[in-house]
Amino acid sequence: MSVIRILPLQFSRVETLAKMLSVISNRFGIETILGVQRFDLTPFFDPVRSQYNANEMIQKLVPLAHEDDKIVGITDLDLFIPVLSYIFGQAYLGGSIALVSGHRLENARYGLVNDPEIFHARLLKCIIHELGHAYGLKHCFLPGCVMVSTTYVEEMDQKSDVFCRKCQVELQQLQM
Amino acid sequence: MNNNLSILIVDDELSVRDSLSNWFIEDGYSVDTAEDAKVALKKIEAFNFHIILVDIKLPGMDGLELNRRIKSINEETVVIVMTAFASVDSAVQALKDGAYDYVCKPFDPDAVTHIIRNASKTIQLSNENLSLQDRIKNLVNVEDIIGKSDAILNVLEQVRVVAETDSTVIIHGDSGTGKELIAKAIHMNSSRRFFPMVTVHCGAIAENLMESELFGHERGAFTGAQYARKGKFEMADGATLFLDEISTISMKMQIELLRVLESKRFTRVGGNREFQSDFRVICATNRDLKAMVNAGEFREDLFYRLNVFSIIIPPLRERIEDIKVLSEHFVKFYADQMNKPTKYIDKRAAKALKNYHYPGNVRELENLIERAIVIGNGDTLRLRDLPLEHVAAKPTWESIQEMELHHIKSILEKYDWNISQSAKALGVDRVTLYSKIKKYKIEKVK
Repeated sequence: MSVIRILPLQFSRVETLAKMLSVISNRFGIETILGVQRFDLTPFFDPVRSQYNANEMIQKLVPLAHEDDKIVGITDLDLFIPVLSYIFGQAYLGGSIALVSGHRLENARYGLVNDPEIFHARLLKCIIHELGHAYGLKHCFLPGCVMVSTTYVEEMDQKSDVFCRKCQVELQQLQM
Repeated sequence: MNNNLSILIVDDELSVRDSLSNWFIEDGYSVDTAEDAKVALKKIEAFNFHIILVDIKLPGMDGLELNRRIKSINEETVVIVMTAFASVDSAVQALKDGAYDYVCKPFDPDAVTHIIRNASKTIQLSNENLSLQDRIKNLVNVEDIIGKSDAILNVLEQVRVVAETDSTVIIHGDSGTGKELIAKAIHMNSSRRFFPMVTVHCGAIAENLMESELFGHERGAFTGAQYARKGKFEMADGATLFLDEISTISMKMQIELLRVLESKRFTRVGGNREFQSDFRVICATNRDLKAMVNAGEFREDLFYRLNVFSIIIPPLRERIEDIKVLSEHFVKFYADQMNKPTKYIDKRAAKALKNYHYPGNVRELENLIERAIVIGNGDTLRLRDLPLEHVAAKPTWESIQEMELHHIKSILEKYDWNISQSAKALGVDRVTLYSKIKKYKIEKVK
């Protein structure tokens, strides 16, 4: 039986992740567990950009996933992919690994007072969104759906952490 | 939403190709990649990509040259040039060569999303534009003008010939013959068809307003001129100016019009600034302009300026062959429009329509049919639906022989060509009736 493994990779707020497990499990109808894995992230650091290469991290995480499992790596580190200046998360369509960074989800980064609830909500949306890609879902254009593409946090706050009806149906078909 | 758009990513770095592919695939685009210009050109020749992202630094042919090659293959392709080593020179060169945008790697996710969305909108607008141009082309085709008489076919041939030129055309025809439709057909088949046909109904505009209507006016030119306004000459720049009922304009305006037609230059009322406008003139009249010139009511110089190519639309009564096809066309058109089952015209109604003299020409025929469709029911338009019973009842022939021929014909039709019954009704014997049928060459209509 397949599982979704949430894997903290240099992520300081593990208790936040623990609170999300049941919601994630509910969205995907799959058991979701918190994993523990020692994983050296230094090889992925790019000194020119002072950021971590998400594509390379994903490649290294692939062997950790069992057949139908999905792994979501969560980190506080700032992630990039070669052509983009930053990313909130990354996953390949239908792949087994997703990565999410909390680095740019904090209010403090935008000159505002930190709000743990807002951070929690943004992180949850990012995880569900990237997991959606890992299950094969593409971006959705229905406002509010968690699969709407968002490139800055204000946009992320506009959407919900649930799938629209169309994405929900598609997800069920992809999981069959 | 993006299912119909395809993107090609040309970059020698595998990680860039992978990252961008993944990004666009998640957005629903169809994506392909190429590692150098040679591979890219092969793919471009085999498949029509909508958007191509090209890195400047490529092994062999660079991205700027590739951009030029792509544009020579298909000018419509949206090319976005990317570089990690931005320079003003390369950016200017790329844009001069037709690139849609120029971005520096790495770019913000927000920036790339916006560039691609804007490019998609540009492609969509361009496609819409092409489809609208196609629709405009089909708005008034010469072939769409109804009629099969030699007279109307001759008019349509003249339309075809003159449409391709830029000559001034004057259309003569009685009221209701379709002068404006012919003007539209000339315009829509000319090179100016993508601009509007600007119409001036000269007879409907008061003389004191005509100058402002044609030339426009500046703010404060006269009491009530609170805003500057373009005139029809200005609005018709690049287009066709249709002057309907040209015979009604005053002598003063005729002088002004002649001056503008010759120079294509004018000033707005109350202004000093000179405007130039490139318009083609088509005008229409239901009066004999030559006779008006002889009577001193129309300027001879203007007449000759306008009378470069003359088209005469004959009245409907002179092209009886067209009545049937026009009637059938209007029946179908109005039945569809009013959701009525009418499809046919019965013999008596058709005969009445054919015998009527139509002082109001095609417009009157159209109105008759529209009225008949409104009040009629069933699938056949009948004589009682038309206000033409008097036409059917009143014979239009003059000689006794014609009268005899038509009377025998109507009796035969009434008795469905039963010779005995017809002869009895006519008060003659069967032999006499046969000889009359032979004499007048009357044939049963199938």
